[in-house]
Amino acid sequence: MSNQKKRNFQIEAFKHRVVVDPKYAEKTWSVLEHAIHEIYNHNASGLSFEELYRNAYNMVLHKFGEKLYSGLVTTMTAHLKEISKSIEAAQGGLFLEELNRKWNDHNKALQMIRDILMYMDRTYIPNAHKTPVHELGLNLWRDNVIHSSKIQSRLLSMLLELVHKERTGEVIDRGLMRNIIKMLMDLGSSVYQEDFEKPFLEVSAEFYMGESQKFIECCDCGDYLKKAEIRLNEEIERVTHYLDVKSEVKITNVVEKEMIASHMMRLVHMENSGLVNMLLDDKYEDLGRMYNLFRRVPNGLSTIRDVMTSHLREIGKQLVTDAEKLKDPVEFVQRLLDEKDKYDNIISQAFCNDKMFQNALNSSFEYFINLNNRSPEFISLFVDDKLRKGLKGVGEEEVEIILDKVMMLFRYLQEKDVFEKYYKQHLAKRLLSGKTVSDEAERSLIVKLKTECGYQFTSKLEGMFTDMKTSQDTMQGFYASHLELTDGPTLVVQVLTTGSWPTQPSITCNLPAEMSALCEKFRSYYLGTHTGRRLSWQTNMGTADIKATFGKGQKHELNVSTYQMCVLMLFNNADRLSYKEIEQATGIPTSDLKRCLQSMACVKGKNVLRKEPMSKDIGEEDALFVNDKFTSKFYKVKIGTVVAQKETEPEKLETRQRVEEDRKPQIEAAIVRIMKSRRVLDHNNIIAEVTKQLQSRFLANPTEIKKRIESLIERDFLERDNNDRKLYRYLA
Amino acid sequence: MPPRASKRKSAPPNSSSVTSSDGRSVSNKAKTKGMDKIDRLFNTYANSSLGVIDPEGIEALCSDLGVDYTDVRILMLAWKLKAEKQGYFTQDEWQTGLKALGVDSLTKLKKALPELEKEVEEPSNYEDFYIYAFQYCLTEEKQKSVDIESICELLNLVLGVQFRPQVDSLVEYLKVQNDYKVINADQWINFLRFCKEISFPDLENYDATQAWPLILDNFVEWMREKQS
Repeated sequence: MSNQKKRNFQIEAFKHRVVVDPKYAEKTWSVLEHAIHEIYNHNASGLSFEELYRNAYNMVLHKFGEKLYSGLVTTMTAHLKEISKSIEAAQGGLFLEELNRKWNDHNKALQMIRDILMYMDRTYIPNAHKTPVHELGLNLWRDNVIHSSKIQSRLLSMLLELVHKERTGEVIDRGLMRNIIKMLMDLGSSVYQEDFEKPFLEVSAEFYMGESQKFIECCDCGDYLKKAEIRLNEEIERVTHYLDVKSEVKITNVVEKEMIASHMMRLVHMENSGLVNMLLDDKYEDLGRMYNLFRRVPNGLSTIRDVMTSHLREIGKQLVTDAEKLKDPVEFVQRLLDEKDKYDNIISQAFCNDKMFQNALNSSFEYFINLNNRSPEFISLFVDDKLRKGLKGVGEEEVEIILDKVMMLFRYLQEKDVFEKYYKQHLAKRLLSGKTVSDEAERSLIVKLKTECGYQFTSKLEGMFTDMKTSQDTMQGFYASHLELTDGPTLVVQVLTTGSWPTQPSITCNLPAEMSALCEKFRSYYLGTHTGRRLSWQTNMGTADIKATFGKGQKHELNVSTYQMCVLMLFNNADRLSYKEIEQATGIPTSDLKRCLQSMACVKGKNVLRKEPMSKDIGEEDALFVNDKFTSKFYKVKIGTVVAQKETEPEKLETRQRVEEDRKPQIEAAIVRIMKSRRVLDHNNIIAEVTKQLQSRFLANPTEIKKRIESLIERDFLERDNNDRKLYRYLA
Repeated sequence: MPPRASKRKSAPPNSSSVTSSDGRSVSNKAKTKGMDKIDRLFNTYANSSLGVIDPEGIEALCSDLGVDYTDVRILMLAWKLKAEKQGYFTQDEWQTGLKALGVDSLTKLKKALPELEKEVEEPSNYEDFYIYAFQYCLTEEKQKSVDIESICELLNLVLGVQFRPQVDSLVEYLKVQNDYKVINADQWINFLRFCKEISFPDLENYDATQAWPLILDNFVEWMREKQS
């Protein structure tokens, strides 16, 4: 009731009465309370938003925010408790559905309530440091529904049960799961983690521990890995469908740990199906799977690498020490190349060209190739075989590929200088017998060696090619200036520069008169244009083509060595010759003569001579005749080629000795070089530096280095320091 | 080597053969007299046509001194005299040496020998003496090594007293091995270092990766094989 004071007339504005009604707040609140009830009872349509908003606004304005807020809390809590009960009442599978439905309802309600109470949300709540309405709604839900004793554990176990079902192959309602999980996420990450994720991970770990144990007992390695991969992918898919994306790495860690890391060694070493078997059988898919799975766990890849390395070394060692395989050098090297190809393929197809694996492969090869000190020789023989006949008819590109592969093996050699020595010998034989299949291939290989080892390595080899060319020109010049000789026997001389070609002892024999006269003419011609040089005939390296007519008139052209020619020509003047007579007439050294006669008298199809007695070996009392009954399908008969062969034991020793001798000056040169720049250096460092410098050619022996140092001290190149015996000083 | 002051207490005060450490003679006349005595002693043994004491003369000197020709003390004397050529003493060497010893007569020389021994054995001199012993054996011009036989004898002579077990083993080894027919200066000096540094006969502290000459590496290996 208005207590209007009597005033001079005043037109009063039409205004609301200021209500100081103590019940005002109460009334207003009950309106709002009622509204909340209706909202929760799905009767919101009958409410006026504007009115409710205004009421709430007024309450806050008139300083009744506290009452409003606490009222809200109380009311909402009460409702949530009821909701909780109804959820609890749901049976079995309907539990989650009910929860989901009620959650959706709550969110809708919360939205409306928040809208109504927006003024409070913006003014009273920040000032009073209270939780905003929306968040409050979530917290109340969490506390009263999710964390209610009857619901909390039931919720978790239902969720886990569903996951388990899915893992065992059943189909579940993923949409429902997603919603529930999302609800947990919305309630806060700690809710999600505590109420779901942590237990989920624990249960998963148990599950996979059991599963992996079961599998590993009954599956072979390949199958197990397939299963592990499937499970891993499943979990990743699960996360994308209904879990928080941050859970992915956590669950995959669990799977990786339980299924892979725990059983890593057992898998790798599994009999008949483990890593070694996969490698042997080129199981690219299985290997690739193993690689992808193992790279996820610590030490996974290094485990694979280590097993692969020791396996390779084992195989390699067997290969290079197997006496059977070593009988044929070409086969031996081909096996090495095949092995390398195999592993290159494995690494590229299954191991993603992983560099560390490539390194492991290289170090293994380097290890076992050098276990056999004949490897350099054999690789050279392989090349020799290829360049003589192996590459016949092979296209240029393929030739390059093969040579590149050979270079790869060459790089693994520690004793490259031994290879150089053999290569030179074999190349000399190829060039002189004209037996090289492709000049281009030869030169291509030289270029590759030069790129790998530097100019010095190949300069002598190139010198050999030059000599061949120069000799051709020389021969042309010779015949051009000696036209009277065109009717006689044709002479082809290859003039070899001593330094470039492998050293041979020069043995002369007695050439038939026709030849020796011709040779003399050549000698004077050559020395006429090259004064100051010395020529020595290498009769053990030449060949000859002779025409022969046998007893029944059969004519053949024989391709023989120079020695063989000398022997045969003797029979132009005698029908029968004793061994001793031949020896004396030709002057050929004994072992060569025996080999020469044997090739002409004891080999079927090449027996242009007949021997008495008809034994297999040449005895010094034997007599030899021309074999008048000699026949051959071919007009041209080749007897005795000078093929590069595996060295005999004494030859091997000699070559090795020569290599050792050659190494001495190289070691000394390295020592002097190092000391010249360092001036003073201690013993261990010198050894290390010298070894490093010579690494590209051979592995220097520390004892040998020490010997060289002492020799240099004796020759006053170096001296020991007076006070510190371990120091050496360079003497300028 | 710097001239040492003689430690003789029994030197008669008017003996002019004593020179003080700063080289001042007691009196000029006395000095010449002393030099005369040294020269006269020289001439007793010298080969008059050559003007030096030759091997024969040294032999005579030895017998007069009551010392064997091959005694190490003669080598020490040669060292003291800084004799350049084995088996010969020149007049200069003789004069300088005897003055340094502080003797001018045979008796005094004889008495000086034990002192000389002590002098040589002093650590600062010993290595010098040891090296000298080797160089003394390089009789030919440009010779740098000494044959094994002589080395064995020299080792005995020079190191035998102090390092008997090492010398015995080493000599045995040198005689059986055939890697080396001669020994050079570097190897020689390392023999001494070996004896001084390496515990014997266990050879425990020998490390072949250190800068010992190869001949000693081989010697140690030989010893170890023998011992096992």
